[in-house]
Amino acid sequence: MKSVALLCLGVSLITAPAFADDITIGLAGPLSGPQAYFGGTWHNGFKLYVDKLNAAGGVNGTKVLINQQDDKADPREGTLVAQKFCDDDKVIIGLVNFNSGVAQSTLPIYEDCKMPTMTFGSNPSLTRQGYKFMVRPVANDLAGALLPAEYALGKLGAKTAVVVNDKQVFGQGISEIFASNFEKGGGKVLDTLAVAPSDVDFTAVLAQIKAKKPDVIYLGAVMPQLALFAKQMHQQGVKATLLVPDGGYTPDLIQQAGQDNVQGTLVAIQVPPMDASPDIAAFAKAYKDKYGEEAGPYSIYGYVQGQILEQVLKDTKGHSREQMNDALHHVKAKTAIGVLEFDDTGELKVGPSYLYKVDGKDFVLIGSK
Amino acid sequence: MLGIFFQQAVNALTIGSIYALIALGYTMVYGVLRMINFAHGEMFMLGAYAAFLVLALLAGDAHAAGPLTLVAAFVIAVVAVGGIGVLIERFAYKPLRNSTRLAPMLSSLGASLALVAGMQILAGPQPVAFPSFFPSVTYNVMGGTVTSVQIGILVAAFVLMYGLTLLVNRSRIGVIVRAVSESRQTARLLGINVDFAISMVFFTGALLGAAGGILYASYYGIMSPTMGAVVGLKAFTAAILGGIGSIPGAVLGAFILAFVEVAGTALLPLLTGGLLGTEYRDVLAFAILILVLLVRPAGILGEPVSEESMVYKREF
Repeated sequence: MKSVALLCLGVSLITAPAFADDITIGLAGPLSGPQAYFGGTWHNGFKLYVDKLNAAGGVNGTKVLINQQDDKADPREGTLVAQKFCDDDKVIIGLVNFNSGVAQSTLPIYEDCKMPTMTFGSNPSLTRQGYKFMVRPVANDLAGALLPAEYALGKLGAKTAVVVNDKQVFGQGISEIFASNFEKGGGKVLDTLAVAPSDVDFTAVLAQIKAKKPDVIYLGAVMPQLALFAKQMHQQGVKATLLVPDGGYTPDLIQQAGQDNVQGTLVAIQVPPMDASPDIAAFAKAYKDKYGEEAGPYSIYGYVQGQILEQVLKDTKGHSREQMNDALHHVKAKTAIGVLEFDDTGELKVGPSYLYKVDGKDFVLIGSK
Repeated sequence: MLGIFFQQAVNALTIGSIYALIALGYTMVYGVLRMINFAHGEMFMLGAYAAFLVLALLAGDAHAAGPLTLVAAFVIAVVAVGGIGVLIERFAYKPLRNSTRLAPMLSSLGASLALVAGMQILAGPQPVAFPSFFPSVTYNVMGGTVTSVQIGILVAAFVLMYGLTLLVNRSRIGVIVRAVSESRQTARLLGINVDFAISMVFFTGALLGAAGGILYASYYGIMSPTMGAVVGLKAFTAAILGGIGSIPGAVLGAFILAFVEVAGTALLPLLTGGLLGTEYRDVLAFAILILVLLVRPAGILGEPVSEESMVYKREF
């Protein structure tokens, strides 16, 4: 056993790339299928920054190369990609997995081959399993459901809420977090209702809710259910304010529900508006110039991960996976969305989250944390 | 309280009339061919997509069509999907008509998968916003809310169902179809064009399913390639509950199922003190189905099958 360990150490010393060599970053995300838009635009944000970095001569002469793979938002595909990155000695950091479900199955593989990763799945449980080689550069669902609860209590003066969820890991998890935050803040959750994830008719549930006259309704679900619920809520004359998680941050919400039916709906997401600061506005413009389309919902995070990588390369003692992991965990990176630092579990010390309100045919920022 | 009750009753009637339109297709095909047409849920999906396509072609923008265009799109779409229903029978079921009873059912499962996958490739997998066929006006009645869309759906569904009753009971086509459903062999010997009768059944079934799909997409405001799966299963359940093969049974079963679903959502949490939440709605619906089938194995209005009738109808 000991000799094997020594052998491994020997091998890793031989194959460890020398300093100032080019390094490779492994990118995995959904690049085909229904979520391709999210994955592709997220990776494009990262590439945008890396190209800028390389054009300026890299960091201390080190250029960054990219190995981009499609995980199809499928855990099986994700694990194959993870194995591929692990076996490739040139890959020293993974920028991986848009989906919590995929990250859940790839993290153990990356852990085994000591590959540091910046993971994108937002389920709170990912950072609680003791992984030493992961950080999450994006706010988790705990942050995603705190701001809406605070806003409802503070700004809307809400006293009562009804919580509806679709019985899925994400929907049920995030709506439970909302409910506990709402109760902690002195509000009262009148009822928790569950619907089937494939439901399209919420009229019966809404008639029950209507009788309870809540101030707000939190709906832990995904599209198109968010749009259907909003539409039927309006048609049934339910007067409460609807709060939904990040899946609703898409023009589809307004289009599928009908503009009149979603006015005033609140959407919480980790993404700042594209005119929030000069930095972000410059990013949005650079993105459009390079790719010929508007930045996607998570493109800014790809860009921010590029900025984190730059700081890690400046801090790191060498280019082995372990040294990169050390630097990644202790990084203090100035990024377009503020200074980011990670705690011991790899969670952001401060996870930014933003709250938007549907106004006309746009999302307008009304709060951030 | 009365307002809520009234509101829930209207909700149940709306859902029930859409289920009924689809359940009719299952029951008619079974009545004539003794097969379950698993591709029938896809007729419902095709109806919505066909109407959307016709609207886009006629008006340029599907969301800005006038009332005449809407009526035209509705008619063209349901007739077109009726034709697709006939074609599917011709190519996927007819060659298997004299093999085991399982073969056409498996073939219909294949047709169903092919239609869904085909639509996902053609139109993309994502849900699409669907224009409303009725101007949306909200009426307050006794403290409950009724929308003009719900009223429109009820009226349209009942007109279509009444039309079907007339067709089956009062027309020459109806006589032919009923004769074929009694006994295909005898009908053939008496010079009835059996193929024509079967085509007519598929045409009407698919037409009603497509109409259901258009009403449904118009009510909920979206359509997606997989929308036929869940609703198809519900309508199939309704047809079994009412007695598969019986036309009034399909309608009755659909309304019972819809009322059970709505009552389940409204009453379960109240009756069990929050122990059983709204998520048990479907469990309740199927529990009722099982109870009915224990008492009446052929469904509420289904003909009980005796040995004598089996020999007579050459069921096996």
